[in-house]
Amino acid sequence: MTGHHRARWSRFVALAPWLAVALAACSGEPNSIFGAHSQFGHDVDLLTRRLLYLGIAVFVLVETLLVFAIFKFRKHEGNTAARQTHGNTTLEITWTFIPAVILAFIAIPSVQTIFRTQGEAPAGALTIQVIGHQWWWEFRYPEYNITTANEVYVPVGRAVNFELRTNDVLHSFWIPQVSGKRDLISNHTNHLWFTPDSVGAYNGFCAEFCGASHANMRFKVFAVSAGQFAEYVAHQQTGPVFPLALDTTKAAKGAKGAPAAAPATVPPTPAQLATGTWPLDQLPRWVVPATPIPDGLADTMPADAARGAAIFKTAPCIACHTVQGVSAGIIGPNLTHVGSRTTIASGLYPNDHAHLVAWIKNAPEMKPGSAMMALGQSAMGAGGLTDQQIADIAAYLSALK
Amino acid sequence: MASIVQPPSVVRHQARYEKGLLSWLATTDHKRIGQLYLYTSLVWFLVGGLEALFIRSQLWSPNGRLVTAETYNQLFTMHGTTMVFLVIMPFSAAFFNFLIPLQIGARDVAFPRLNAFSYWVFLLGGVFMNVSWLLHAAPDAGWFGYAPLTTKAYSPGLNIDFWVLGLQILGVSSLAAAFNFITTIINLRAPGMSFMRMPIFTWMSFVTQFLLALSFPIITVAVTFLMFDRFYGTNFYTIAAGADPLLWQHLFWLFGHPEVYILILPAFGLVSEVLPVFSRKPLFGYNVMVYSGMLIAFLGFGVWAHHMFAVGMGPVADSAFSVMTMLIAIPTGVKIFNWLGTLWGGTLRFTTAMKFGIALIALFTIGGISGVMHASPPSDLQQTDSYFIVAHFHYVLFGGSMMGLFAGMYFYYPKITGRMMSETLGTVHFWLTFIGMNLTFFPMHFLGLTGMPRRTWTYDANQGWEFNNRLATVGAFMIGAATLLFVYNWFKSMRSGAPAGNDPWGGATLEWSIPSPPPDYNFAEIPTVTSRTPLWHGDPGPGPATYPAPFTPVQPRTAAQLGITMPTPTVKPLIAAMGLGVAFTGVISHKNLFLILAGAAIFVGTLYNWLLTPLEPEHH
Amino acid sequence: MATAALAHAPAHKHHTSTGLDSTKIAIWAFIGSECFFFASLISTYLIYKGRSLVGPFPHEAWTNPATGEVMKPILNIPVTSFSAFVLLMSSLTMVLAHSAVLRGDRKFSKIWLLSTAALGATFLGMQAFEFTSFVHEGLTISTNLFGSTFFVLTGFHGAHVAAGVLWLVTLFFIDNKRGLGPRDAINVDVCALYWHFVDVVWIAIFALVYLIK
Repeated sequence: MTGHHRARWSRFVALAPWLAVALAACSGEPNSIFGAHSQFGHDVDLLTRRLLYLGIAVFVLVETLLVFAIFKFRKHEGNTAARQTHGNTTLEITWTFIPAVILAFIAIPSVQTIFRTQGEAPAGALTIQVIGHQWWWEFRYPEYNITTANEVYVPVGRAVNFELRTNDVLHSFWIPQVSGKRDLISNHTNHLWFTPDSVGAYNGFCAEFCGASHANMRFKVFAVSAGQFAEYVAHQQTGPVFPLALDTTKAAKGAKGAPAAAPATVPPTPAQLATGTWPLDQLPRWVVPATPIPDGLADTMPADAARGAAIFKTAPCIACHTVQGVSAGIIGPNLTHVGSRTTIASGLYPNDHAHLVAWIKNAPEMKPGSAMMALGQSAMGAGGLTDQQIADIAAYLSALK
Repeated sequence: MASIVQPPSVVRHQARYEKGLLSWLATTDHKRIGQLYLYTSLVWFLVGGLEALFIRSQLWSPNGRLVTAETYNQLFTMHGTTMVFLVIMPFSAAFFNFLIPLQIGARDVAFPRLNAFSYWVFLLGGVFMNVSWLLHAAPDAGWFGYAPLTTKAYSPGLNIDFWVLGLQILGVSSLAAAFNFITTIINLRAPGMSFMRMPIFTWMSFVTQFLLALSFPIITVAVTFLMFDRFYGTNFYTIAAGADPLLWQHLFWLFGHPEVYILILPAFGLVSEVLPVFSRKPLFGYNVMVYSGMLIAFLGFGVWAHHMFAVGMGPVADSAFSVMTMLIAIPTGVKIFNWLGTLWGGTLRFTTAMKFGIALIALFTIGGISGVMHASPPSDLQQTDSYFIVAHFHYVLFGGSMMGLFAGMYFYYPKITGRMMSETLGTVHFWLTFIGMNLTFFPMHFLGLTGMPRRTWTYDANQGWEFNNRLATVGAFMIGAATLLFVYNWFKSMRSGAPAGNDPWGGATLEWSIPSPPPDYNFAEIPTVTSRTPLWHGDPGPGPATYPAPFTPVQPRTAAQLGITMPTPTVKPLIAAMGLGVAFTGVISHKNLFLILAGAAIFVGTLYNWLLTPLEPEHH
Repeated sequence: MATAALAHAPAHKHHTSTGLDSTKIAIWAFIGSECFFFASLISTYLIYKGRSLVGPFPHEAWTNPATGEVMKPILNIPVTSFSAFVLLMSSLTMVLAHSAVLRGDRKFSKIWLLSTAALGATFLGMQAFEFTSFVHEGLTISTNLFGSTFFVLTGFHGAHVAAGVLWLVTLFFIDNKRGLGPRDAINVDVCALYWHFVDVVWIAIFALVYLIK
């Protein structure tokens, strides 16, 4: 019998140091809620730590008493008669009163923090409209007349006030490393504001079950310096980088049956390429998606962006997507500067040629339930886009920096 | 008392229902109905557990592709719905049925036929909902079914129809049972058994019945609105008509929070019976345990919006619900201390039932602590909808409710079957479950604190989540193995367990004064009660040296020999339930009017016949 | 449901802790539950009050912007006041019926039971008339938030009245066939409790939906 209880005792003892180590390790994890890269985050962090430490204290107290009781009062030669107590009013009052006091230590700072963080956003806050869709994020900066998707840039040191709406079902806007979440409720507008306090790249998640691809509805948040943010805004306000003016004097006709030779194009200027976006080679590992491409969708044929631009103008894409000056669809994300984003499919895949090709070929297979239909010929048959056309469109999109 | 001579027609009728399948189909005996609930719940426990194993296997690796996203969403929805409505609630109902009449010194519940009806409707509801798997159209919007995702616009298939109709059926079962047990406990107590002399399990169950009676109508309304939206085009959750999704959330959680107390209070009651018997001293603070149970139930109706801290209710509402939620932690914590007080100074014997009882104290404490953490809205804005919540509710539901239910099952097995379960196998089951449970759910606290959202089909690599997910998967399979061992022990012991007498454990309350298993009439003579622990006569004593306590087998007399009139078995409750089944099948099969009318006719007709037939045969 | 069945008056009463018949306790538990049921329906009506995007509306006129059609406020207070009065009177006849059964007055127990059923049926008839005229005037269960909340709330209430009428008619037939005596009073008592509850719910609905703007 004794070995029995030693095993139980040692289990609890073994747990304690693991707890302490684990807590320390938590803060270093990629999406840790102890990251707190904003004042809101810090306020919440303080509260959470207090709750955690108080909780651990209660845990240690109760479990110690329990283990002690099991050991001391087990039936054995030294303990053969039970003390016939029915109750003790003093004890009852004590263990009602003390927890109430402990709870007061939690309740008061909680209520204070609620009012502090749910008040009006500071004057001069940057308003960003967030519109949730099944299963991607639309972001608009009304102050700058910018519309983008799935990535949001915010300047360090300036309060940002997210106006949260949904186009369909409930979603929730959550950037664990920066702040608590807020739901997007149909027929409601919610607000979430915080002031980012450090440069960083963070993962965002949808945190309210919203259907088939709820797990795939991710976004990226980039807190950048004020200077870089200004550059970003200026760039987003311009039209698509890809030149629409084609140098037609040098166009060559291809042989019959071969794809038309690429018309020569005017390369973008350095100013046009100053996107203000986060350099791809400086993305932390955990911000780069590792979602595998389903079999059969990737390919590596050579592609031409100019050809892609021409195909795009009459492709099914224009029904749902906006490329400023080219198409005006509003069902899917705005693609005007899609080439300068770090991910596609709402944070699900890295934004590169291979992933773009796979996505266009069969979006529903890449992302279950996707409203974007499969456009490749393997899915649509003869009416679909050929692999070469898809590759070209992908090249065009990649060039839309 | 002279024996009653039954007219020949009654004797023939009763003989047909004495043995075999028909005796189970026509039973109105609370002890049999309790066993029916128990075995049915066991099946659903294995089904819900299998769903959990699929979930955990899918989450073994980042970007897992074991199941599709659609299937995963059905798995986690059905896992939650099954465990709440088809496992924990009916396991509790098994104990309500089997135990309450025995504990209060009654022959049966107030309305035995209604009792049978509750069971058959429960069976119908579970089967109805799970038939959806055969069509690969299992409910897939979570056990909480938030609108507008569940409206026809966003869930056009049959999935949510199954969910909505299944829940309505289960609601009928629970409500009927609640009315039955409220009446039973108020009106059928043995002479001398005042309310404050009732066994604590009966008290906790009594409180639970009020929670059921008052909370289920609310979800009935919420689900009816959804049903009407889906079938008749009403606008309760229609966004385009200006509806507010928060209506669903408020109604659902007004039900949902009392529901979690429905899930835990019976288990609390069972543990409160087990601990004193194996500590050889009475429950510490019986009065406080009763009042805290009542207070938890009452306050439980005032905290519902703590499930909605992220919806933007405003600081005043957030603060109010936060404070109320913290308040409810006080009577709950008081119970933990009273259990410690029960153990303190006792002479503890660690039978399997006792181990599970102690485990509830240890594990529910952890779940309670994380629960208090959720009560602070700013902090909850990080915790809610993450794995931190998943950790919390599994600690209170598995570490709390299931541990308490297992304690009750090991404790009352001898009374139900007349035999003892294997303590060796029980010990293995216990440790595998305890370790497995902690291995599965403790890492989820870390997953939540490191930003993993819940209800997600898959997660990406490089997020630091793989290790804890793997621990959880290993733990889940341990729980699975442990459960299979438990099932084996249960059935093997029925054939080869040591015979148990009236009172194998040295118990305190009336159920231990009658044979194991009890005769159909329970008590040869209804006892008169003068204390809370009638069998201890003020001193529990050291208890049996070994379990089971030695006994001399005695053949109990029959009801006829004792002159006791037993209710006539009848299949009318079963047929009435089947009528409901036909009607609901008609609703889901494209509103098949014939089936709906036929089912309604069967139901109403049988009900009429049943109400106009006396429960017991007449005396001559 | 009753331990004392209706087919024959019971030969003996079972002992109970309270001295009350178990059926009476059960009906109170049921009524408590029904309170929460109707409270949820009524709360929903009140939450959605004034939030319909299109008409018809209960107390105000509405002009359809698309067609220019003017819709009058749709509730008819005078008519509904009368039907409320009818239901209220049925509670009186119910009390009289119970009293007749208690004193074994078979002639009047039948009269009052049938009267209660008839008044209840009249109420239902007037409800049916109201519902059909609303549909005629352009308000259906799916027109707007008001249509949904109104029809579902009053519809469920009407269903409860109908169940009560069925119950009363059954009691009447049993009274007609073998008579209802003092031993059966409990069954009539329980029916009366239910009937009064349904009436009280109507008073709440009438006040909150029809009278209060």
